Amino acid sequence: MNAVGAGLGVALLLALAAAVAAPLAPRTARPAVAGAGTALCGAAAVLAGVAALAGQRLTVELPGVLPLTGLTITVDALGGLFLAVVGAVAVATGIYAIGYGGPDGRGVQAALPLFVASMLLVPVAGNVGGFLLCWELMALTSLLLVAAEHRRRDEVASAARWYAVMTHVGFVAILIGLVVLAGHAVDDSFPALRSAGAQLEPATAGLVFVLTLVGFASKAGIVPLHAWLPRAHPEAPSHVSALMSAAMVTLGVYGIVRVGFDLLGGGTPWWWVLVLLLGAVSAVYGILQAAIATDLKALLACSTTENMGIVLVGVGAAGMFAGAGNLLLAGLALTAALLHVGNHSAFKTLLFLAAGSVLHATGTRDLDALGGLRAGMPVTTAAFGLGALSASALPLGAAFVSEWLLLQALVHGLAVGGVATAIVMPLAVATVALTAGLAVAAFVKAFGVGFLARPRSAAAARAHESPPTMLAGMAVAGVACAALALAPALVLPAVGRVGGALFGAADPLAAGLLVVRLQGFTGSLSPLLVAGAVLVGTAAVALGARLLAARSRDRTAVRLWDCGAGPLSARMEYTATSFAQPLQRVFDDVVRPEQDVDVTHHRESQYLVDAVRYRLRVPDRLEHGLYRPVLTAVAAWGRLGARLATGSIHLYLGYGFVAVCGLMVLLVAIR
Amino acid sequence: MSVAGITVALVQAVVVLVGSPLLLGIMRQVRARLEGRAGAGVLQPWRDLRKLMRKQPLTPRGTTEVFRMAPLVLMATTLAVVAVVPFVTTAAVPAAGADLFVVVALLTLGAVALALAGLDTGTAFGGMGASREITILALVEPTLLVGVLALSVPVGSTDLGDIVTSTLRDPGRVITPAHVLAAVALGLAVVAETGRLPVDNPSTHLELTMVHEAMVLEYAGPDLALVELASAMRLTVFLGLWATLFAPWGIAGTTGPGAVALGVAVFAVKVTALGAGLAGAEVFLAKLRLFRTPELLAGSFVLALLAVVASFFFG
Amino acid sequence: MSEALLTQLVGLGAGAVLLTAVLVLWLRELAVVIRVFAAQGVALAGLVAVLAVHEGSGELAVVAVGVLVLRAGLLPHLLRRALSAAEGERRVTRPLVNVAASLLAAAVLTLLALAVSQPLVALAPSPVTAAIPVGMAVVLIGFFVLVTRRRALSQLTGFLLMDNGITAVGFLTGAGVALIVELGVFLDVLLAVLVLGVLTGRMRDVFGRTDLDELRELHD
Repeated sequence: MNAVGAGLGVALLLALAAAVAAPLAPRTARPAVAGAGTALCGAAAVLAGVAALAGQRLTVELPGVLPLTGLTITVDALGGLFLAVVGAVAVATGIYAIGYGGPDGRGVQAALPLFVASMLLVPVAGNVGGFLLCWELMALTSLLLVAAEHRRRDEVASAARWYAVMTHVGFVAILIGLVVLAGHAVDDSFPALRSAGAQLEPATAGLVFVLTLVGFASKAGIVPLHAWLPRAHPEAPSHVSALMSAAMVTLGVYGIVRVGFDLLGGGTPWWWVLVLLLGAVSAVYGILQAAIATDLKALLACSTTENMGIVLVGVGAAGMFAGAGNLLLAGLALTAALLHVGNHSAFKTLLFLAAGSVLHATGTRDLDALGGLRAGMPVTTAAFGLGALSASALPLGAAFVSEWLLLQALVHGLAVGGVATAIVMPLAVATVALTAGLAVAAFVKAFGVGFLARPRSAAAARAHESPPTMLAGMAVAGVACAALALAPALVLPAVGRVGGALFGAADPLAAGLLVVRLQGFTGSLSPLLVAGAVLVGTAAVALGARLLAARSRDRTAVRLWDCGAGPLSARMEYTATSFAQPLQRVFDDVVRPEQDVDVTHHRESQYLVDAVRYRLRVPDRLEHGLYRPVLTAVAAWGRLGARLATGSIHLYLGYGFVAVCGLMVLLVAIR
Repeated sequence: MSVAGITVALVQAVVVLVGSPLLLGIMRQVRARLEGRAGAGVLQPWRDLRKLMRKQPLTPRGTTEVFRMAPLVLMATTLAVVAVVPFVTTAAVPAAGADLFVVVALLTLGAVALALAGLDTGTAFGGMGASREITILALVEPTLLVGVLALSVPVGSTDLGDIVTSTLRDPGRVITPAHVLAAVALGLAVVAETGRLPVDNPSTHLELTMVHEAMVLEYAGPDLALVELASAMRLTVFLGLWATLFAPWGIAGTTGPGAVALGVAVFAVKVTALGAGLAGAEVFLAKLRLFRTPELLAGSFVLALLAVVASFFFG
Repeated sequence: MSEALLTQLVGLGAGAVLLTAVLVLWLRELAVVIRVFAAQGVALAGLVAVLAVHEGSGELAVVAVGVLVLRAGLLPHLLRRALSAAEGERRVTRPLVNVAASLLAAAVLTLLALAVSQPLVALAPSPVTAAIPVGMAVVLIGFFVLVTRRRALSQLTGFLLMDNGITAVGFLTGAGVALIVELGVFLDVLLAVLVLGVLTGRMRDVFGRTDLDELRELHD
């Protein structure tokens, strides 16, 4: 039993133990038991993942665990990477959940460790039956967790319904795709699927890929099947949102990489152009929605769509380069995508945990009602600031390194594949650039409006810091963010090996502690030196200013400039809606907000205004355009079908009887 | 980095630090003369800085450390860029490279710090300036990165040193369609990023027409001096970057003192010429409405995209 | 056991099962129908016992005893209890289709079952598999009873008839129905009986009668 097996076994046992112990514990201790169990399970999973990335392998067959197919566990480097990511997120959220005063019902607290356990099993499942079962288990436990607070708010039930339907539509697509593939193979284990995939006709392979892409892309929140993300993530408890956003959606990416590159062996280039286009559209659409959103958690959820879009741009580019024959560049693109998955998990966890802290302290998620939280919640403000810096892909942030790698791959890939890449690559670069710009806008808005300046409502003015366990969870995520930003060499060699090995190419990077250098191309980056330069520069300028300024010791606090009209009230501050208004106007054709102005005049005179009510709603236009017709058609079919239900039981039984007899007559006649 | 490299970096920093208020003064003087005024003299920005440094530092109530730190971060990022970009010599580029993407991102970081400071004040002007600045920043990013892509295709790398060396070795490249288109596109991007006409009027007094000035409305005394100096340095750096990419002659290939001195002199001349040209053009331009600016930036993006296409098919 | 004796005994058992099925379709009084159903259970148990002796399998013998206890003992007992709880009602069933037409339909269904089962029998011709059409016919007749009866208890007898027929087909095809599967299926049936018993009681409380046509009021 090597380290991988030991780690994985311990993790699963701990999760099971926590799931059993949590319902039995007294009500006040339930979150602590479930949270501690989840955190320990995550730690063991991280160890297992790191061991797998270091080169250890594990294959275990458990035929008796499941009926019909049994469960095979195969841990390779790709699976190990996702094990490590999921485990790390689980550690931070588990510690956070100990102090989070959310719903403490038996089922909900038991579901948390089970959710993490199912997410750990998905990357290591080695046969179709086991994979599908773990996928469904993940969906069911997360559904239970999303619906946890349904007694407190009405929107939770609606969000849970959307999530349930969409995740099962995705599941059916994956089921059909994998079963079609397994139908051509000897049995349903992944090695058999691999050899079947190598001999599949292009049309069948294309069908399998598209079906699995639909299912996995829906889980990753890719347009057009993204509608569940901005609904489910805000309504779930914050640590569950963090787990879903930072760990569960990445398993959609895992599925695409596993099925597309590993099981189907790369396929034809048009697959990957499709993946890249979907990723690009999702990235722009997601971050545009985030830039306009005023609900803090909806903003973070739309940002998840954007980041998964960027990851898919990298995956698609990798597929295109591999199809054109340049395996080293393909490895580089995939490394960039996988590194971005890890970075995104770190900063998204941090952001969601901080948002949960804000919700816990103020009771509201509305950015237009927050502000001035720096005074009451300094640690949470710092945590959110670090997360926002990372999320906007600026230097000193975690996502900068992965976006730089992705841009390098796209830039060097321009000449690789002929006209197709020549057209797609500049558009991909433009998309990444636009999303980077809009991400800056979204997170400056979230941080600046939500945490700085003065409180805009009484709830924000009352804010106090969160309990220490919640701060500890944020600290874990923050340390991970900072480490990934300043010393990506800790993870880059392993991720680079995974990316290269998937294409059978060499390691695309040489990452020392100071410098990250591309192999085979000219390009190098030193995150530590950049950060050092900025920090040293700041200190030097501060010192210089202090020395040169004549009266630097007399700093006093003064009133803000208010044009002499008296102190400014909180209502005069810029809100999130006003901050985003120029962007909303620029992208008016895409966003198309609905505005409503309601003027109530004085009873005595039509010229005097008593009250004005202004309402702005930004609906999801893609949802309107794509989902509404589908739902209307389904409802029409349902109404047609209702005519068959007259209320007579005999008629219903008669339908069945006539069907059975008719089938039998058909059987006799055909022969 | 070697000793010579550090020396060159210091030289560049001092030149930019000292020269940027001068550049601002020259630009204002050119504009004044063209408008028929006498002007305040080339050294006026330095006099303004000296006056501001003598004043009492003030902090508005209700702001946080972000407000106090933003000018420092702005200056620090600009200095970091100055230290690595090969304005005077390509031999002093650090071993880790001066990647063009990193340079663009560092300059964006500085602008973001100032926007956060604008939001931190909690006034309507601060928020308005921050909101407009961020919109323009978001829309200029695609032009910048696609322009970098266009420049890197013939060279095979996004490293500034490599791009400059390759252009020096092959001077005919400057008049290729790709280069010309990229020059125009990046020129428009520079105008947008530095807040010059027609995107923003740096000498307006009407708050509702301000973009950059509204963000820094609350700064006073030494803080305002830092902000003004940093903004002037940003202008110098952007003009210098444009000159380095599209007119690199005069940039030394070694770190000998004579070559470096020549490089400094040529750099000063180029940047002054560009600044004077920009100021002269501003006399004939009016500020665009905020919601016309996206059209301008979209136009610059299309030019950058055409530059990439040209570099692939004709380069 | 000799071939001729086997053929005769199997024929006897299968015939008894089919005859009792037709009788359930024909008779009107519910108490008598339940007794006939119990007799069918005995016949089925006998059939399984014959198979057990023929194959010399102890497991089948145990199953035969189980079938006897459950289908000839427990289920009729439950039905009788539900019937006695519905005291005060008319004890006769008025089916949707009159008796003559029902019997004609039973004949047609038997022919259909014969036609459909030919390939099954052709797979492994033997005296045992020759009785498969009978089992299929019982299934179809049971389904017909289920569809055309008004009262809940009568429908229940139809459902149980179907189950008996399926069990018979299962043993006759010699698929070696595992004990655990048989137990599982039986538990399902038990659940259905219990649920319908409760439903009958509730319907009587609400409507005063257990006429399932009353449920039409729930139509929207």
